Amino acid sequence: MPFTLRILLLVGASVALYIIAKKVRHSKIQMEDSIYWLVLAAVLVINAIFPGIAMWFSSVLGFISASNFVFLVVIALLLIKEFNNSADISLLKHKVDELAQEDALAHCQDGSEKAEKE
Amino acid sequence: MRVLALIPAYNEEACLEDTVMALRDACPDIGYLVVNDGSSDGTRAILDSLRLSHVDLPINTGLTSAFRTGMKYAERHGYDAVVQFDADGQHLPEYIGTMAEVMERQNADIVIASRYLDGSERPTGARGAGSRLISRLIKATTGTTITDPTSGMRMFDRRMISYFAGGFDTAPEPDTIALAARKGYRVIEVPAKMQERQGGESYLKLVNVIKYMTRTCLSILLFQWLR
Repeated sequence: MPFTLRILLLVGASVALYIIAKKVRHSKIQMEDSIYWLVLAAVLVINAIFPGIAMWFSSVLGFISASNFVFLVVIALLLIKEFNNSADISLLKHKVDELAQEDALAHCQDGSEKAEKE
Repeated sequence: MRVLALIPAYNEEACLEDTVMALRDACPDIGYLVVNDGSSDGTRAILDSLRLSHVDLPINTGLTSAFRTGMKYAERHGYDAVVQFDADGQHLPEYIGTMAEVMERQNADIVIASRYLDGSERPTGARGAGSRLISRLIKATTGTTITDPTSGMRMFDRRMISYFAGGFDTAPEPDTIALAARKGYRVIEVPAKMQERQGGESYLKLVNVIKYMTRTCLSILLFQWLR
């Protein structure tokens, strides 16, 4: 694995860590949601410090270079995150709709005064 | 049998009044509810000033959610059947009585007002092709023949009301009909005529047709087996 890629991974991880810390401190992200990104940063750091891991995997799995393996891991992790985000947004949409429905029904104007008499 | 006509309305100021008045004149003994889906035009003002029976969603949430709102209302007010009725004047209230009769007599869970049951030809072009494709998919996956799956005029019984009121992602669309048919609910069609829409814009704008077809077909072909 090229030395520059290792340095880049370390720099990237540090920047990520800084941004996460800032967001948590300013109450812009819940800790629960920041954990994923902390783990992702940790994965980058481990890959940078111990290039042997990536090299071993890439040779076992038949990758041309360790860098390719690292890229693939990052892409896979992002895709998983993206899918989970989709699922979360779906649930949020459902919940917002649910709230709107209950609000509408609570203020229902069905003229019950006359309807109920029948 | 207590029947509720459920009228989802999103920006339907053009013909909502006529639709509701015609419905009340033709079917004075059934209840109705307009679900205003966060309209940005004069829909709400019309509903308020004419004191029509309605609920207002605070935001636009889409047809599925608007319909669900009405189903919750029907369930909580003890209605026996709900008929899905378009705000744009496409549907003729004269058929509601027949639909209710058929539902009661044949013990059906869903009664669809079909434009093609009497042998009428489907429109040529994309519309007819889409309808035909959905019919075929439903036939192939459930064995049930539905001549007019995209008819928006459908009547649902108590079981279906609960199903819609408590469901997740249950659209008042052909895929739900297919799912119900496969799960053993009784789906029956009655012949009916419909009018051209009298004004306003359809939920199914041209750009949305591809989305609609993709969702409906995939839902019938694939997701149905997971639900």
